[in-house]
Amino acid sequence: MSKYILSKKSSLNELATLYSFLIGLLIAFIIGSIILILQGQNPIDVFSLMLKLSVGSFNSISSSLNKAIPLILAGLGIAIINTVKLWNIGAEGQIFLGAIFVNLIYINTDFNSPSIHIIVLLISGFIGGSVCILIPAITKVVFGVNEIITTLLTNYIIIGITIYLINGPWKDPNSLSFPVAAYVGEEVYLPTIGEKLSAGFLICVLFTIGAYYLIDKSVFGYEMRIAGGSVMTAIYAGINAKQKAFLAMLIGGGFAGLAGAIELLSQTHRVSTGISQGFGYTAIIVAAITGMRPIGIFLVGSLFGALTIGGSVIQTIGVSAYIAEIIQALTLFGALIAQFFFTYEIKEVENG
Amino acid sequence: MNQIILETKEISKSFGEVKALNNVNFYLHKGKIHGLLGENGAGKSSLMNILSGIYQPEKGSIIFEGNTLSNLTPDSAMKLGIGMVHQEFRLIESFSIKDNLTLSKSNIYVENFNEAYSKYSDIFSLSVSSEQIISSLSVGEKQKIEIMKLIFNNSKIMLLDEPTAVLTPQETNQLKSSLERLSKEDGKTIVFITHKLKEIKELTETIFVMKNGEMVAKDLDTKSVDDKELINLMMGEMTSSEVKKNNIKGEEKLVVQDVKYTGNQDKPNFLNGMNISIQSGEILGVAGVSGNGQVELANIISGVDRGFTGKVLINNVDVSKKGVKARKKLNLSYIPENRLGVGLAPGVSVLDNSAMREYFNASYGQHLSRKKMLNFLDILIDQFSIKTSDPKAEISTLSGGNMQKLLMGRELISNPEVIIASQPTRGLDVSAVEAIHNLIVQQRDNGSAVMLFSEDLDELFKLSDRIIVLYEGSIIKEFLIEDANRNNVGLAMAGINE
Repeated sequence: MSKYILSKKSSLNELATLYSFLIGLLIAFIIGSIILILQGQNPIDVFSLMLKLSVGSFNSISSSLNKAIPLILAGLGIAIINTVKLWNIGAEGQIFLGAIFVNLIYINTDFNSPSIHIIVLLISGFIGGSVCILIPAITKVVFGVNEIITTLLTNYIIIGITIYLINGPWKDPNSLSFPVAAYVGEEVYLPTIGEKLSAGFLICVLFTIGAYYLIDKSVFGYEMRIAGGSVMTAIYAGINAKQKAFLAMLIGGGFAGLAGAIELLSQTHRVSTGISQGFGYTAIIVAAITGMRPIGIFLVGSLFGALTIGGSVIQTIGVSAYIAEIIQALTLFGALIAQFFFTYEIKEVENG
Repeated sequence: MNQIILETKEISKSFGEVKALNNVNFYLHKGKIHGLLGENGAGKSSLMNILSGIYQPEKGSIIFEGNTLSNLTPDSAMKLGIGMVHQEFRLIESFSIKDNLTLSKSNIYVENFNEAYSKYSDIFSLSVSSEQIISSLSVGEKQKIEIMKLIFNNSKIMLLDEPTAVLTPQETNQLKSSLERLSKEDGKTIVFITHKLKEIKELTETIFVMKNGEMVAKDLDTKSVDDKELINLMMGEMTSSEVKKNNIKGEEKLVVQDVKYTGNQDKPNFLNGMNISIQSGEILGVAGVSGNGQVELANIISGVDRGFTGKVLINNVDVSKKGVKARKKLNLSYIPENRLGVGLAPGVSVLDNSAMREYFNASYGQHLSRKKMLNFLDILIDQFSIKTSDPKAEISTLSGGNMQKLLMGRELISNPEVIIASQPTRGLDVSAVEAIHNLIVQQRDNGSAVMLFSEDLDELFKLSDRIIVLYEGSIIKEFLIEDANRNNVGLAMAGINE
């Protein structure tokens, strides 16, 4: 008698993640097309319009990349934290607290040089993200509390704090009844490249390289991988597993906080509930699809930015913007399923 | 009353190329307590798993109350009244005691549960309410529930696989009187599996001994059999040593001075003032049944466990207050007992696992050059004939032997001066065992001081220059290899110091 079992393949295809992403994307577009057809739209027309409006000109590419910045930065943070096999579901809250820290420092400090001021504000954003994940990091390391729950719950707390601030102490008196904080001064706006592209994109490129180095090339990254594989092995190898997990969480949270700072300084220019439009959650999809690889996060984040812009502009022809979100989510589904078949094989074994 | 309730005839079972059971004949007297003795891997658990229907034998027959059983399954075995308590408990942790006891459809105490529960609580000296949740119980209490579950499922035959492994001596004594009452008052037929001589002598009425998948002695009367005879049966004849001894070079490489373990409050007198010294070119074998202090001692010497008082000296440098990395720099290598999970990190690539000993020494460049790591892995693969398909593949895709070779290679390639090796050949096939032994001897000839923890006496006799025996956290006896034999080492392992 023999039976079949799933077993992990002994050799991995280098490009398996890329292939599964492409398969996932294809599945997403096929299902997306079906939905469009059911709505009476021609999918080819819709998708070519999305393509044209998201990457058809330098300006549209700039808009797409501006949308990609928070996805990429938060995604990189999630990947760094996942190197120790922990999940950060709290990037959304970290983005908000990053922006709140920027505003807090902006209100309370004065710098003569705008460039120094901007740098200080960006650093504040990074610290805000780290502060946001501090409590989940401490409870994880000291008491072993599940970080998925604590980082998720922190989101609600931070968004609550944001709503309090913009309705209370920070409420802009000029905004009438609309709950928003006052705008920051133009001197701290991030400069643009060309007409629209935020200089935040350059920061994003630098941090992608930084995250790649940290995860793949540095001794710290190696220690994080071992600690993520087995805490007992880390102790055996002389690696302080708790310290690595703690630092990884603070750094990863900081990446998302920086995304919030860039979003405030280059897009919204004030604290509002619109600082993030679910970037922190979409970033989880971006990071998961790429198998937590920084370069992949950069590329897929850019594509998702374009999809978001494409999705918002097709509303003009009467198609819901949610089609873009459906495609993003389905890509993850398809990619994860495809990845499964690249990682496992079905083997016949002797019974017993 | 001497009736055979269950009998196996010529049972054979193989796993891959390993023959776990070879023509085993076994029988049980109704209402008696039987001991099944044997070393790890002798086939005791395999035989019990066949009787309880979990494994199907390739050959042979099982006769229960006069009827030959074919195609025994766990379900049908339970219906016939053959129940087993496994080494790992099979209780539902989040359910109450009552729910666990009445879960099975063979359960016979549905109506009068409370009455039965109080009767058997008394027999097992258990003082918890049946509404308690399993996860709130101690290990000893969980085991009582496991055994009680067999009674509630109307088992006539109770197979207990190493039940005392998790118990304190007091709990073991309690178990003894519970089992006696079950066999006398309820007429239960009990099989008690162990590799501990002392317990089998105290708890059973008749003894069966297995070795290497064969039944080497049947139905020995517990009262009249002596320890030496049992040890001879269990351990077999000594195989002659092929390894040349007397390479001791003289310098003291590893010294353990007055070490006391303080890492666990529940074991206050563990490793109470231990003294060990190993010289260059010497292999010190550490014998003992597992759980007698081996893991604690190895962890203390290697720096993994810092909960101790006393001194550890490597090459005359006091490292007691130093961590793992400092000890590695003084040229100590540690091959832990738990291969995958401690020595190697599961879920991490072969490549990352291969770099673990030296990664902080800049051997791979300041920034862990992947090229240098790959070169090092290639050297390991080449020198230690490791079979691996892809450096990026997860470590767990390697076979046990190849994992161990990678681990040994990683720890030995730099010619360490002090080597701590725990169970280095456990679960490996013959050729891999030979390869690992050669590596250890080669290191010894190069002047390393080796401390070899093993439960395999053949291995200890083959490799060691000196043997110490650990029992309940102390060195109960020390032997020069010329004076050691299976008898005196085996008796010391059982806690008998003559």
